[in-house]
Amino acid sequence: MAELATPADKRRLATLLSPAYLWLTLAVFLPLSAMLFFSFVTDLPQDAPDWAFTLENYGKFLENPVYGKLLWKSLKLAATVTLFCILIGYPCALVLARVIKGRAREVLFLLVILPFWSNSLVRIFSWAIVLRGNGILERTLEAILPWDIRLNLMFTTNAVVIGLVHSYLPYVILTSYLALQAIDDDIIDAARSMGAGKLTILRRLLLPLSLPGLLAGAVLVFVPVVGSFMEPRILGGRVGTYFGTVIEDQFVAVYNWPLGAALSFVLLAVVLLIFALTSPILRKAQT
Amino acid sequence: MTPRKKALILPALGRAWLALVLVFLYAPILVMAAMSFNASPFYQLPFEFSTRWYQDMAGNAQILAASLRSVGIAVATTVIATALGTAASVGLFRYDFPGKRFLQVMLFPPIAIPWLIIGTAMLVFFFAIGIGRGTPAVLIGHVALALPYVIVTVTARLSSFDVTLEEAARSLGADGWTVLRRVTIPWIAPGIVAGALFAFAVSFDQFVVSYFLAKPGDSTLPVLIYTAIRKGFTPEINAISTIIIALSMGIMFLAARKARFGGGR
Amino acid sequence: MKSILTLTTALALTASGALADEIRVLNWQGYGTDLDWSLKAFEEATGHSVVHEYFNSEQEMLTKLRTNPGAYDVVMINAAFTPQAIAEGLVAPIDTSTIGNYADIPASFAEDPKLNVDGKVYGVPWTWGLTSFAINTEAWDEVPTSVQVLWDPAHAGRISIRDDAIEAMQLGALATGQDINDIEDLDAVEAKLAELLPNLRTFWSSENDWNQFMAAGELDAATYWSGSASRSAAMGLPVQFVVPEEGAVGWLDGLSIPATSEHQEAARAFIDWMIDPEFYVKWDAEGAPASANAKAMEALPDDAFNKAVLGDPEVVARVHFQAPIDDETREKYLEIWQRLKAAQ
Repeated sequence: MAELATPADKRRLATLLSPAYLWLTLAVFLPLSAMLFFSFVTDLPQDAPDWAFTLENYGKFLENPVYGKLLWKSLKLAATVTLFCILIGYPCALVLARVIKGRAREVLFLLVILPFWSNSLVRIFSWAIVLRGNGILERTLEAILPWDIRLNLMFTTNAVVIGLVHSYLPYVILTSYLALQAIDDDIIDAARSMGAGKLTILRRLLLPLSLPGLLAGAVLVFVPVVGSFMEPRILGGRVGTYFGTVIEDQFVAVYNWPLGAALSFVLLAVVLLIFALTSPILRKAQT
Repeated sequence: MTPRKKALILPALGRAWLALVLVFLYAPILVMAAMSFNASPFYQLPFEFSTRWYQDMAGNAQILAASLRSVGIAVATTVIATALGTAASVGLFRYDFPGKRFLQVMLFPPIAIPWLIIGTAMLVFFFAIGIGRGTPAVLIGHVALALPYVIVTVTARLSSFDVTLEEAARSLGADGWTVLRRVTIPWIAPGIVAGALFAFAVSFDQFVVSYFLAKPGDSTLPVLIYTAIRKGFTPEINAISTIIIALSMGIMFLAARKARFGGGR
Repeated sequence: MKSILTLTTALALTASGALADEIRVLNWQGYGTDLDWSLKAFEEATGHSVVHEYFNSEQEMLTKLRTNPGAYDVVMINAAFTPQAIAEGLVAPIDTSTIGNYADIPASFAEDPKLNVDGKVYGVPWTWGLTSFAINTEAWDEVPTSVQVLWDPAHAGRISIRDDAIEAMQLGALATGQDINDIEDLDAVEAKLAELLPNLRTFWSSENDWNQFMAAGELDAATYWSGSASRSAAMGLPVQFVVPEEGAVGWLDGLSIPATSEHQEAARAFIDWMIDPEFYVKWDAEGAPASANAKAMEALPDDAFNKAVLGDPEVVARVHFQAPIDDETREKYLEIWQRLKAAQ
């Protein structure tokens, strides 16, 4: 790796970096700044010439208990989905990385991540067909089991959780697998030769060493789920109102962009706060 | 139970678990494909085979236009994001400079901030500066979302790059760009391919950002599907999805075998 | 000479370009304007092609107009919302002299103050109908006569209403015996709706939604629109529309032209097409609300639902027509509705 010694180096560095970062500035950082600005105004400047600065949009979040309640509901949903993804996905990654070998592993790994390249909305809608009353799941179970089945899964929180776990599970498997697969076989062999059992190896070696990967996966699940609105709308029905759906409403239906912006920043602040609180654990895991 | 038998039971359990998870992952996709061959417009059972939805779809200009637009945007996103992202990764890898750490951290907002927030922020900002909604706005947004994925994947590959190779080339008289073109890029090619695949996937499946930025009448396939789900989902959507999944899985399989990012050992 | 020829050719080209416009229509999905056979005939007759974009609430429709200037040429607006669209400058005055069928719309609709401001017409009355509820005839021994059946525990988990603050509040007003246009006891309505929500299977958001739920046998009864009910019945679903003793909400739907439309001439031609009796009679056979055009209604067969039921004075006496809703009331409704949903 080189220090920036000559002006030519500096020029070259600028040529390499500036396109990507200018793009990010235009498409991400400036919009986020604009959004922050809008969250402090009464009306959109392009609609109302008499707009003014206000804290009222954030005040509404504090005053109206509905928003707090929905935010809590969204956080609980994200925590539940993340937990299930870890419980289901980590053992999968473990089997894939440490049990299955060679060609079979390559194929199975591909099979696990392939759903990424199918449309997530269609997958959610497929769950609607599977879960609905008198739908495929109930009919299949009825055919197998001798008694009447009425699961009533559709339009419940469980349906939302199932759909979201299905959508985000591959992230956890992918990141955990990459971390597990990078662990040197020699360390495991050494531990085994010293008489460590399988569970000891898992608890004392594999788990700590792959924790960064697992946590990265958890973040990749938690963040989008907190803000999800499409899955709850389709699978949640009557109980599908979440913080994300309320934000979506402000932008596409109610046309209260300042309130929508303020609610978005509340969500962003909460997400960042959670990162800040968990980052000591992350850092500890890495050392 | 002997320890030896025990040693066999755990992996067997693990394999069974993996098989169950695969069933869970693929069941809805298979259901979706099966329903594209079911005659009932309301997804009613019992199943009755029909190809009418494929015929309908072939005559549905809106679905075809949206699919083409989605592919076009995804290809453009892949090209732009891969080029810009690879350049940035090389720059970040090659040089040490003040503020490097900051630039690396700045890659994470597009991944870590909920898409709902980014999408609405883009909508608000693009309106304020006059870009408005439409395909250019969608493309700008997609590239920004795909960039971090490309940079992260290419950087991961670069970290295994032996810098002495570059020095050797330079000592043989090659100038900076030649070194980049003939030595560095061939080495990181698998990383670039993987990054490009991610960029394509991010764009092609991107719904939230497109939903806010696509202009009515010019929607991408995921947006069309979302509106259809809420306003009138017909098995035509299953038909086009089945075709797309089959196609993209085929392409992925081929590309992944070339790039080997499964990390086979 | 040559330049004049070029000029006329150029003019002819632009003129023919104007003759074959692509117009964009904003409406509910599956609501009259997007029938394949009609669009094909319209394109053959006028050369204009029609593209659709859908909304699933009046609020969403207004926001789409606000945030997509120039994107639409014809928009279907429930007359209760037209005053708001006019006040925000979203719709343009319509030159009705080029709309041949306009003269056949009775004054009671054509001169509706919601569609007219300062002698200018901002909306052409298109259809009218009722919002009430429809039942799955297989789930009931006899047709219910009261809206209270939606609250009946015997049908718990088999009811659906639309996720719409205003429709929900007006349903609550009917059920608590209040004026739908001036709800005095909002608390009573909120309490009544709070009792209804646990009875719901889900919310529906479009006709297609509604049809799929009914087809899957998931619902016994759900709020619905009269025109949509006849359409669902025409598709073979076991559906019957109910006008209960408490009454039903009446609405008038108009067609308007967005102020930013660049194809106003083609838009007027399409509106004329939509209120034409010939189109309406064919549409009604597939299930339609009542037409605002008196000649179109006369042309219906005598046993048509729209002629037989909506022409019955006893039914008409039970209809409460929607008045415009001001911003303050709407925000109040929305707040109550959000609170109710969040409590689920």
